[in-house]
Amino acid sequence: MPIDFDPYGELGVASNASVEDIKTAYRRAARRLHPDVNRNSAGAAAQFQDITAAHELLTDDARRREYDAQAKREADQPRLGFTFRVTTSKRTVVLLGETQVVYMLAEIFPDARANEHKSQNEARLNLTLVLDRSNSMQGIRLEKVKVAAHQIIDQMREDDVLSIVSFNDRAEVVIEATTVRERSTLKARVSMMSAFGGTEIGQGLKLGLEQNRKFLAPRLVNHIIMLTDGHTYGDQDFTLGLAREAADAGISISAMGLGQEWNDKFMDSIASATGGSTSYINSAGGVVRFLNDRVRGLANTFAERVTLSVAPDPDIKLESAFRLLPDPQPLDAESHIIPLGGLQYNRSIVTLLQFELPVDLKLGFRTIARLSVTGDIFPNDFQRFKSINDMSLEVTDTQVEDDPPQVILDALGKLTLYRMQEQAQAALERGDVGEATRRLENLATRLFELGHGELGQQAQAEAQQVAFTGDFTDKGRKRLVHQTRYLLSDSGPEENE
Amino acid sequence: MKICPNCAHRNREGYFYCEECGRLLTGKDTRAIKVETKDLPKEMSGIFGTAHFEKDATIVLMIRDANQPVTFKPDRRVVFGRLDPTALNKPDVDLTPYGALENGVSRIHCAIYRDDMTLTIIDLGSANGTHLNGQRLIPEVPRVLRDGDEIQFGKLVAHLYFKTSGT
Repeated sequence: MPIDFDPYGELGVASNASVEDIKTAYRRAARRLHPDVNRNSAGAAAQFQDITAAHELLTDDARRREYDAQAKREADQPRLGFTFRVTTSKRTVVLLGETQVVYMLAEIFPDARANEHKSQNEARLNLTLVLDRSNSMQGIRLEKVKVAAHQIIDQMREDDVLSIVSFNDRAEVVIEATTVRERSTLKARVSMMSAFGGTEIGQGLKLGLEQNRKFLAPRLVNHIIMLTDGHTYGDQDFTLGLAREAADAGISISAMGLGQEWNDKFMDSIASATGGSTSYINSAGGVVRFLNDRVRGLANTFAERVTLSVAPDPDIKLESAFRLLPDPQPLDAESHIIPLGGLQYNRSIVTLLQFELPVDLKLGFRTIARLSVTGDIFPNDFQRFKSINDMSLEVTDTQVEDDPPQVILDALGKLTLYRMQEQAQAALERGDVGEATRRLENLATRLFELGHGELGQQAQAEAQQVAFTGDFTDKGRKRLVHQTRYLLSDSGPEENE
Repeated sequence: MKICPNCAHRNREGYFYCEECGRLLTGKDTRAIKVETKDLPKEMSGIFGTAHFEKDATIVLMIRDANQPVTFKPDRRVVFGRLDPTALNKPDVDLTPYGALENGVSRIHCAIYRDDMTLTIIDLGSANGTHLNGQRLIPEVPRVLRDGDEIQFGKLVAHLYFKTSGT
């Protein structure tokens, strides 16, 4: 059994550290992470467990010797991992007597050697498609979904596992979880799907989860793709509960919304809870490409179940978290244990975190947060890999000219646009039509300035719409949400009409 | 705190882009300035009016050559400027009726902020500048306002008085 826990790394001490040093390091870390002082952070609670385990191991002479011996044996065959790099927007902050914001850009990328291992270590999939076949899917939409499903069946390898569930008011199994061997039989089953009835996502996801669990294994990329074109009513909490269950089991969920009627906020919360992403598919024509791209991405996985755990110091608040790459997605900052999905070969996962510092800072160096990332590395026999970054900065009483890192400026410049439309929506939810209109007008101006003319026009049209009717158009709102989000990805705005 | 040079929105310290208008905040950090009247040397209190602005006081702005004073209760922020129907950012107090165009008032000229018991004025990068008691303001650097101060928006001169509800 290879070791997947590094007690020295947990405590940040050298491998020849004395027991005294280890105890000091433990006490210092415990002062920030102990549940008695850091009450509301699940991230801190999890990390406290880890440092406690490390402390117990290293202060037990026999266990420490045993660990050292094993680590020495394994040092001969270095294993692959990923690099976890965190950049802060400032290295120093000035004592101001007011709250301040600090950003952290967290980048995760595979080791440079990873590619050498790619060919013989392709990830195996355990994929479940949960497909809407309500009345509104009738015609071209369902036809395109079938074409996409056929292509996925062709694209998957023989020992990948596939299951397909369809749902309207009820859910039924189209393809029982199976390895992809009898392709023509599987395709025939897909072809027999027909559209009628209402939309109840919860039923579909429940059955999909059951199917996925049949082959659920840490050796596989366990993933559910859920595609719908409608609103679900009354079963949101139930569905969200299922998503959390999936996340705990190591299953991620991609949510795909087709057309204008689906509930994007709800789908975002499902995807974010599992480290998946939400895609807005404007018209039936985009279905095939979106589904195929997603499946190709899954097969390219280097590390699965990548999770960011954030333990802010007790007086620091994590205000928001946003995944910029690979699929831009707002994340749930409340939980502090944030699933990020899979890490692909030749790609990186980039997350932007926003922290608020308290008014009453003290001069000198101080810690801000302890960030750690875990992930199961495929070419390493799915061994868990963990990397820790302890972030700190200096509080001074004089202004220091400290240019922010360009990567953070670039990311924020684009994220600001997404936040602007988000705030317009928030204003409207509060019933403040004036503010919503103003924010949309500002967004339009900014988009025009940046050369996103088409999107700027969209924002302007929505500003007028909001001013006159007090609400967005469904289509316009979704486009603003998703196109400002797409601006964050490398490929730029994604048009799929 | 970072004050947006474009729209005068007050962003939290640490922001790089204005959360209101989305533009890069290039201005230097501006600390919130609080001045207590009691801290001033005694001999100065006769020359300058009080900087103490009562909770329910109003501002009376006497603009030269205008028949009527402009009276208003300041919110957290009041932006002065010249209304341009084609621009997206609109001032709270439009100086067009007082000859803003001829006197070189910018669309977004300056702003008065209210912090508890003090008022501060900030020039928002206006083309022809804002003068306080004859002294030109450095853009985006706040200055405390006192009862009786002379403010000049471009070439438009006005006097500012604090009016407490009792008097």
